[in-house]
Amino acid sequence: MPFYEYRIDLYGFCDNRDSTVAIELKLKNWRRAFVQALLYQLCADLVYIAMPKRAALKVDQSLLACEGIGLLSISDSGVCSCVLSARVHGQVRQPYKLSQINYLKGTTCE
Amino acid sequence: MSEAKPQVILRMGSHSEKEYIQKTLKFFDGVMVGANLLQISPGATASLLFKLHGETRRPYYIDPMTYAFGSYFDPEVSQVRDDLDWIKSLQKVPGRKGVREKRFKGSYRKLADEFGPPFSTCLDRGVAINQRDFSDDLIYSACESVLSFQAERLREVFREDPQTESFADALPRPAALFAPYFYIEPNRSQEWITLNNRLARAAMKQARFETPIHVVVCAHLEVLTNRKLASPVIENLQACKPDGVWLWFSRLDERFQEPDELLALRWWVEQLASSTRVFNMHGGFYSLALSKYGMVGTAHGVGYGEQKDVIPVIGQSTPTVQYYVRALHAKYSVAQIQRSFSRLGIKTASDFYGKICDCPICKGVIGNDLDQFSQFGEIHYSTPKSKRAAQTPAAAKRCRYHFLLKRIEERDYVGASTLDTILNDLKSSAATWAPTAMLGTSIEHLLVWANALS
Repeated sequence: MPFYEYRIDLYGFCDNRDSTVAIELKLKNWRRAFVQALLYQLCADLVYIAMPKRAALKVDQSLLACEGIGLLSISDSGVCSCVLSARVHGQVRQPYKLSQINYLKGTTCE
Repeated sequence: MSEAKPQVILRMGSHSEKEYIQKTLKFFDGVMVGANLLQISPGATASLLFKLHGETRRPYYIDPMTYAFGSYFDPEVSQVRDDLDWIKSLQKVPGRKGVREKRFKGSYRKLADEFGPPFSTCLDRGVAINQRDFSDDLIYSACESVLSFQAERLREVFREDPQTESFADALPRPAALFAPYFYIEPNRSQEWITLNNRLARAAMKQARFETPIHVVVCAHLEVLTNRKLASPVIENLQACKPDGVWLWFSRLDERFQEPDELLALRWWVEQLASSTRVFNMHGGFYSLALSKYGMVGTAHGVGYGEQKDVIPVIGQSTPTVQYYVRALHAKYSVAQIQRSFSRLGIKTASDFYGKICDCPICKGVIGNDLDQFSQFGEIHYSTPKSKRAAQTPAAAKRCRYHFLLKRIEERDYVGASTLDTILNDLKSSAATWAPTAMLGTSIEHLLVWANALS
């Protein structure tokens, strides 16, 4: 899903809770993922970084926790576990969130 | 240390940038166009420069672009290339439907024909110019034709059209004429240094031109930092005594360059400033601040263009024009800036005006609603088939005008401030923005600049 010049790897919306989630997938460079995750907080209530288990071990979790960004670890067999839960933060700008939800609804309805 | 009043020369890359130049040139110190642009659209370019001069009285320069006919070192294949591919494009073959061939671009073909040998002959043979192409006789005539092109071409264009013929003599001459120049590529640095020196000397001997003669040092980054290469160039220039020297180190990006490279640029300025006027052909705020060490001015495009590779990257998608943050003297994406608002304590439009920018463009876009800042980054799908969203032309325009207004402000600020004030402001901006998680690591250049300038 496009967000300015970036592309959000996964973006989800829960109608009941009026809540959105963005997930940045990265194989190695967690610092780059962190910077992108910070940006995605502008349009998503919860933001996660998802990485292979081995790469996820190297992530500075305190830095992520400080910004409310969550971490998902994916094992070789494909099992996904939540290492750090994302928390609701104060960065969301409603026009962006609404625009992303509308984009999502538009594309899924097609 | 001879301080200079900093100037900013706007470089017009194409006629699509005309509007920006027309609206802002009166606040800048001159305009520069490439000779290839003049050759491909002579009437439009000559009329524009005539009009601009009438309205603003600002000087103009014509970059002869002679380096485009020389060879260069291709880092991708690690070898010197002399196939002139960078001035070719795929073109339709007349009489053969659907067939396209790689041929020389019309602008460069016309330019080479205008300059004559060895420029025209190098295109005929399809191999770039080398030092051996310039015999002592030819070097003098080649210089004369390149200088004459810059001095006379606009008037010739006006004389060719009965409607403009009577205005031909009213056309001003350029502020300076550039000697032909070639890129000093790392594999054959000595040969290119020698050729450029011969060209500069031959140009300085042309007595018939009353316009000041300037020399361009167009070189690989190694020439910037390696004193064994730099010293002979400086000595040649000091002996040649041109009226001005324009530095262009390919890919030198002030924001991302290493401290020793920025220090080396300052060293070049210090070496030359006592004997000639020194400009940066493609520079930004750091070059403006180097006016405290004698750099007279810098040129750049309307959509930034504060650094340039000798060989342009072909086939890239149109880059996003990012938002220029005056306090950081650099551009960032709209999302990056918005994400920094909370740490900077920006909650309302008036906070933004107080802490980031209160120029008329920003005030017009944002009004009372801080969320409207997103208009600087607005994206769309330019055609129904587009796979990627791109910045809207309107958003790019907002960013460009905002940048131009900020650049004027920066030039005036540098001119009116002491070096100590500039250094303190760089450090203070770094301290203010460092706590932002988003940009805290992208502002290192401020302290690097402060060190290089102090």
